[in-house]
Amino acid sequence: MNKYIVTVVIFFISIASHSQETEKTSTFNEIKDRINVSLESNSQWYLNDSETGDFEEEEKLRASSYLRIDYQISNRFSSGFQIESYVPEPLFNYSKLFDKEIGIGTFYLNYKTKKLDITLGHFYVQFGSGLILRSWEDRALGVNNALKGAKIIYDPTNYLRLTTLYGKQRKGFDVSNSNIFGFETQFDIANALQLETLNSFQLGMSYVGKQEEFKKEVATGVSQPALEIPELVNSFGAYLNLEYKNLYSNFEYIYKGEDARLNNITPNQVSFSEAALFDGNAITWNIGYSRKGFGIGSTFRRLENMRFYSERNFSNVINNPTSDLSMNYLPALTKQHDYTLANIYLYQAQPGLTVVSYESPLIKSGEIGESLDVFYNIKKGTLFGGKYGTKLSLNWSYWANLKSTYTDPSGIPYFVGDDLTYETELLNFENKLYSEINVEIRKKWTPKLKSIFTYINLNYNKGFLESKGADSFVKAWIGIAESTYKFKRGKSVRLELQHLSTNDDAKNWVGGTLEYFFNSKFGLYLNDSYNYEESKITENTKIHFFNLGGSFTKGSTRVGINYGRQRGGLLCVGGVCRPVSKNTGVTLNFVTTF
Amino acid sequence: MNIKNNMKKIICLLVFSLNFILFAQRQLPNTSLKTLSGANTTLSEIAAENELIVVSLWATWCVPCKNELDAVADVYDDWVSETGVKYFAVSIDDSRTAKRVKPMINGKGWEFEILLDENSDLKRAFGVSTVPYTVIIKSGEIVYKHTGYTSGFEDELYDRIVALKN
Repeated sequence: MNKYIVTVVIFFISIASHSQETEKTSTFNEIKDRINVSLESNSQWYLNDSETGDFEEEEKLRASSYLRIDYQISNRFSSGFQIESYVPEPLFNYSKLFDKEIGIGTFYLNYKTKKLDITLGHFYVQFGSGLILRSWEDRALGVNNALKGAKIIYDPTNYLRLTTLYGKQRKGFDVSNSNIFGFETQFDIANALQLETLNSFQLGMSYVGKQEEFKKEVATGVSQPALEIPELVNSFGAYLNLEYKNLYSNFEYIYKGEDARLNNITPNQVSFSEAALFDGNAITWNIGYSRKGFGIGSTFRRLENMRFYSERNFSNVINNPTSDLSMNYLPALTKQHDYTLANIYLYQAQPGLTVVSYESPLIKSGEIGESLDVFYNIKKGTLFGGKYGTKLSLNWSYWANLKSTYTDPSGIPYFVGDDLTYETELLNFENKLYSEINVEIRKKWTPKLKSIFTYINLNYNKGFLESKGADSFVKAWIGIAESTYKFKRGKSVRLELQHLSTNDDAKNWVGGTLEYFFNSKFGLYLNDSYNYEESKITENTKIHFFNLGGSFTKGSTRVGINYGRQRGGLLCVGGVCRPVSKNTGVTLNFVTTF
Repeated sequence: MNIKNNMKKIICLLVFSLNFILFAQRQLPNTSLKTLSGANTTLSEIAAENELIVVSLWATWCVPCKNELDAVADVYDDWVSETGVKYFAVSIDDSRTAKRVKPMINGKGWEFEILLDENSDLKRAFGVSTVPYTVIIKSGEIVYKHTGYTSGFEDELYDRIVALKN
């Protein structure tokens, strides 16, 4: 592998030194202007902790590092690669697929003109809102599901875009054992027909196919089901965007082709029920109105059996907590909060089909719900606006499990011959999983002093979401107040106080942050979350989950160091989460671009 | 297993990459961005039409980003009339939160240009891992980059814009 890296590096350096036509003296400047290098390294030294226990894994010092180099070869050609290092092991709770110490994670060669955009190698892509296909990278989560193959984007006119792709999905440093085909067309009708009345009128259509062999299980004592499991799973999508004056609407529908259902009766084993096939679908509709000083937007979404993996074997969520080999993007549509206590009771989208209990089957086949946002700017000089105006935002969301009824003709539970099927209702919001209402007020008191007040009231169906049991709700409210005072020359101080109140689960928490910037480059912070009330859930009781650290920023370089104790739970970025265990240690983050 | 050995490897990688410290990207990435009404555009196209622009990557869920944009919004009229600079706030919100962009910018009364980078193509091309990330582009070339936001950074940014204008 090291030889491979050296070859690639030499290749790029030689391209770099040959691609210029001007005299020798400017060669260096030429390369300098055309190259982009970025380096990121996140490392942690895990420590034993008298409160939360010893760190029991062998490797205590871990790092995930990325070196990405992009080079503009000529006006039309560009190329790049990313070296990833997980020496000696990736950060704790990362995907087990990154088992190699160092290697080329992705590489590409791109050709781009005004009408044509061709990529060979690894590429990232999203069709529509990503419900049918999305490949992306998130280093904080350890997600990189780029496709490796070829992507061609062709714009024959300024109102039509055609995208065709073929690839295999990235699987650690390897690729998936399947083929992915995709096609999308984006048609800008308003532009094509020169419609003056509409700001926007667009139609998109897409197809995604996954070809993967299905290995039939050899069942003993049961007659083999006669059903053929499709090798090619076809999905189709369509979306329509409309904008008229201050109103807008985006509608999207996805149909996912039939496939076998995961049979997860034994958590660590992956097997499939081969006697019944299930298709999936997704509907999302977003409407809104906005003008200066006021905006309102609402999103409805219904997902049924929408998990889509490039290898079926990865559909067992228990074995695959990091959602490796996921082909589409199914985030929770609740508001994403930045504060620690607001991230304890987190709703995660429930898009998949699973039979939870087999005695009297409890079927999770998807979710349905709604989210509403209102933004309002109270004008300067009014009673509530004050001298500088006041910014309000309100968010409400409600999510429920799809209501379904099952039939099980043969009565054979959980073997390959299981022919259990289910029916769902289209619009039934009865089985509540989560609801939340939150209000944020941003207020500038003086040119130097600003505050943000946040109130969150949530209902979290812990029983249903975290275990196989019946409904049991955590009802909690969280209040957060933060203020920043700005001194001269970039010096500032920020204080943030949080409180979570509930009589359920682990009961009350208190938290806070104090942050001080000596100038715009260098700052220190201290924060803490503390579950101070006695309850039946003692896991976190009376333990200070504190963090103490600092950061130094200069231009595009940032170095951060942190010492602290992390609460176990979900680490979520952009709606995708990975579970992290409780840990204590010193973290060093370094990122720079040249 | 062997911390010393591993440290060596990490240091090697760092030293290797420090070779590049003399390099600095000035050329604009070619990646495709979307306008709020869904049309495709690129930074090069925008830079071709505007002599001096500021591009700031942000997200609806990022508190420091919103602080930066709120702070700039307060003084934006002055910036434009004094220097003619144009400010482009590129949202890296993915489909989870992208639908909040439109009502939010209007609700907040932000008057700069908004672009969408829903699958983080521009963010990747810039080699950025956290937002906010702010660059100044003059005559189609990147002349300044900054990561993060702290209270008062907008004044520093404005000083640089003024210096570049002259």
